[in-house]
Amino acid sequence: MSYNIAVCIKPVPDPDFYDKITIDPRTKRITRSGIPAVINPADKNAVEAALEIKEKYGGKVTVITMAPPNAEENMREVLAMGADAAYILSDREFGGADTLATSYTLAQGLKKIGPFDIIITGTESADGATTQVPAQLAQWLEIPHLWGVKKIEFINETELKVRAKIEGGSIEYFIKLPALLAVSREINRPRYTTIMGIKGAKKKPLTIYGVKDIDIDLNNIGLKGSPTQAGAVNVPSIDRKCKKLRGEPDEIADLLIRELTAAGIPLE
Amino acid sequence: MQFFQFTREQEMLRKAVREFAEAEIAPKAAEWDEKDYCPIELFPKMGEMGITGVFVPEEYGGAGLGHVERAICLEEISKYSAGLGIALMTHHLGLSSILYFGTEEQKKKYLPELAAGTKIAGLAVTEPGGGSDLMGIKSKAEEKDGKWVINGRKCFITNSHIADYNVLVVSIGKDQKGHNLMAAFIIKKGTPGYTPGRKENKFGLRGSVTGDINCVNVTVGSEAMLGGSGDGIKIAMKSIGEVGRAGMAAIGVGILRGCLEEAVKFANERIIYGKPLSKIQSIQFNIAETRLEYESARLLLYHAASMKDENLPCTTEFGMAKWYATEAAVNASKRTMDLMGGYGVINEYPVGRFLRDAQAAIPSGGTTDIQKIIIGRDTINKN
Amino acid sequence: MNIDEWKGVWVLAEQRSGRIDSVSFELIQKAKELKMQLKSSEPVTAVIIGNGIEKLTEELGEYGAEEVIVIDDPALEMFNNEIYSLILTDLIKKRKPEILLIGATISGQDIASMLGVRLGTGVATHSVGLHIDEDNNLVSAVPAFGGKVIGDIICPKHRPQIATVKPGILEKGQKMQGNKFKTIRYDPSDIIKKDKGCIKALAVHKKEYKGIPLQEAKVVVAGGFGIGSKGNWNLLRKLAQLLGGTVGCSRPVVDEGWIPDDHCMIGTSGKTIRPKLYIGFGISGSTHHVCGMKDSDVIISINKDENAPIFNVSDVGVVGDAEIILKDLIEKIEKLKSM
Repeated sequence: MSYNIAVCIKPVPDPDFYDKITIDPRTKRITRSGIPAVINPADKNAVEAALEIKEKYGGKVTVITMAPPNAEENMREVLAMGADAAYILSDREFGGADTLATSYTLAQGLKKIGPFDIIITGTESADGATTQVPAQLAQWLEIPHLWGVKKIEFINETELKVRAKIEGGSIEYFIKLPALLAVSREINRPRYTTIMGIKGAKKKPLTIYGVKDIDIDLNNIGLKGSPTQAGAVNVPSIDRKCKKLRGEPDEIADLLIRELTAAGIPLE
Repeated sequence: MQFFQFTREQEMLRKAVREFAEAEIAPKAAEWDEKDYCPIELFPKMGEMGITGVFVPEEYGGAGLGHVERAICLEEISKYSAGLGIALMTHHLGLSSILYFGTEEQKKKYLPELAAGTKIAGLAVTEPGGGSDLMGIKSKAEEKDGKWVINGRKCFITNSHIADYNVLVVSIGKDQKGHNLMAAFIIKKGTPGYTPGRKENKFGLRGSVTGDINCVNVTVGSEAMLGGSGDGIKIAMKSIGEVGRAGMAAIGVGILRGCLEEAVKFANERIIYGKPLSKIQSIQFNIAETRLEYESARLLLYHAASMKDENLPCTTEFGMAKWYATEAAVNASKRTMDLMGGYGVINEYPVGRFLRDAQAAIPSGGTTDIQKIIIGRDTINKN
Repeated sequence: MNIDEWKGVWVLAEQRSGRIDSVSFELIQKAKELKMQLKSSEPVTAVIIGNGIEKLTEELGEYGAEEVIVIDDPALEMFNNEIYSLILTDLIKKRKPEILLIGATISGQDIASMLGVRLGTGVATHSVGLHIDEDNNLVSAVPAFGGKVIGDIICPKHRPQIATVKPGILEKGQKMQGNKFKTIRYDPSDIIKKDKGCIKALAVHKKEYKGIPLQEAKVVVAGGFGIGSKGNWNLLRKLAQLLGGTVGCSRPVVDEGWIPDDHCMIGTSGKTIRPKLYIGFGISGSTHHVCGMKDSDVIISINKDENAPIFNVSDVGVVGDAEIILKDLIEKIEKLKSM
């Protein structure tokens, strides 16, 4: 049995730089320039999960993203990890999409390229972190899904036993393929991109699709297809005036005890 | 003339090696330096990454790339641990002599495991009697009953205790003019009579093993000879000149980059007189000097490496890169320590290690004076 | 879609094993506020799904629900995202609420996302603030970039406006015994028959965690990467015990594997806490973590790096070695307690 697996990827601004983000006081928009784009860290766990299934059972791993054409660099990286083919859904009309429009666009892309047995995603993107796209994508494709997957087991060729996170533990589910699984970061440790992988990535197919290449309703994409609209943004100030305690090492504990008592913590 | 730019694949390679280094090397580099521990367990992992065999052709299990890619790997690794850098570069040095001078049989026999990092290589030339003075080598190999018997002692040999296959360059007699004739032999660890001896306690480049190798009646067949009788000098000079020095230059560039990044990070974070240190002009000058040194060393290194990839003779170019990069690394390390004030001498920061590693890199692969001789002679001969 | 037909503020209450999740009460309180801002006369409605849950409606009323829609069936014992969302889609299309608030628990958020597609409407996730604007639209303040940025989201042309809120962000109101409310029973059996059986919960694996749950503790002792090693974790537990609190952590600790899972991780992708006292050791203060604890009453931080960002959001700071200070503090408090 071999599986046709799709992984949805999102290039995001590098999370290491988020502490430095500011709002331009003139345009009231987020200053994103200078922050490099990386593959959403959670998506790497998704790629790793897909590669592990392919290595165990055979099949093909296709990666897809809805992004501008410069996502090619990030997609080559994923091909270097071991994916077999990459697609970028790119068109001006896709711009300004909220999660509903994004998931619809991805769904139409997957329908064109597929059909797929398994679709794997990460649980959330580092920038928006709505966690919505995986569930919404599954709805558009009319397939079952699970979010926060920690363990995947094959009962037989078309049925899986899957553990998904819940507060304080996990739930074991039975799920039929085709299905979408949004994997949690704790499911695996993504493999390193090797030098041999980078060499091979050059030759793997990377295709860019626009509006005219896929079957799509223009009313459901981009700004037009987005019920939610973004308004004002601000960087909230959470600063406090910090009293620094100074003294010899053995005095510090005493000073701290004084602060704890002042905060109303009983210590006797 | 093109302006120097890496290809997209080379940038991807750099990024991949950097991620590997950040995860596997950066967290432990200080510990390896303090304990003088060489992390040989990383070699198979580096093999899986394609680093240990980066310029070995695919048919022998390597990544099939070149010396520019090798330099990128060494730069990224040495930024965190120059000690591991020199262990790796010496491994490359040993295997390159087999790659460039070995028979098809020898290449098939040794290269796959060396490329995979499951076996480690070395090159042993230096002796108490001759380091800079190559011709002063006294170790001898004598032919006896169709075999070669080797006796002698090597010192200051990197990877001495960890090399599974060590390429020894020894004397096999004298030519008509009375000069030493030399040959190179591939010796397997564990061969009777071949024993690593004293292990040096180094001031810098700790985390790599440097020591003696003792040979007492080490007996090997003629299939262990690399190249022909008398090729020893050629093999030693070409390997050290274009792979050894290249490695040391890359290590220097890695340390320079480390200095630059630490300096900028510190200058941005440290607040003094109510502003970040980076607002002060003398600090900006300090960083500018390190930047210039880093960019210059980088250009010299990658220029020489791309010449090697085009099969152009580049011993002089690598000599210049090595001389410049290692000396500049020492200057930049001190300059960065000065920028950091008191923090510069605290061992939690890597700058002290940078300074020691850079200084220890200078006598490896030929001292600065040796490089000057090579470059001077080459310049005069060309003009 | 005729917006004017959609009226009423609803809360999807969440229950597990016969207990209503506290976030449901927090949302009901917010629903009451929104109803006032809308100047609406529609009853604040709570919807609850499960098996044998009729007895739980009382508590929803006590926290302010004016109407409770009960969807009770043995087939609904275990959470099933397909069946639950089928039922809710049908219910919502029939009764047309203008706002639906859902707790951003794992299952709550899942349902919210699915309803976005099934109802063709917008969902604002992990809102940290909700209010009604001059056009009578719901404005949700949602975080992005790890919590560094807060942006307003509105859904002007689609209904219902769905917003999810994490537990612990809002405050629940006073519990009022004997509050009057109306119960409506909705029969899900037709819908349940439509389920294709592609997904089914088989078993729940719950971990028993000792000690006070993180979000209920009045004192939180948090440890970060600067604690130095897994071995020092016991020191944090000891201090938490002495102070009558519980232990929390930052994300790097989870990534390093010093604790087995993220149940005590404080941060935007973890838990949000507002204890009386937060005391952190070896925590650098990344936005991710800070967003999870910034509303604590008193924040004390110990870190050896004087430039650590955590000091910008702390009331009291100590520049020093976390391990040493922890040991000293434990010793001195033990001595005090024995006197």
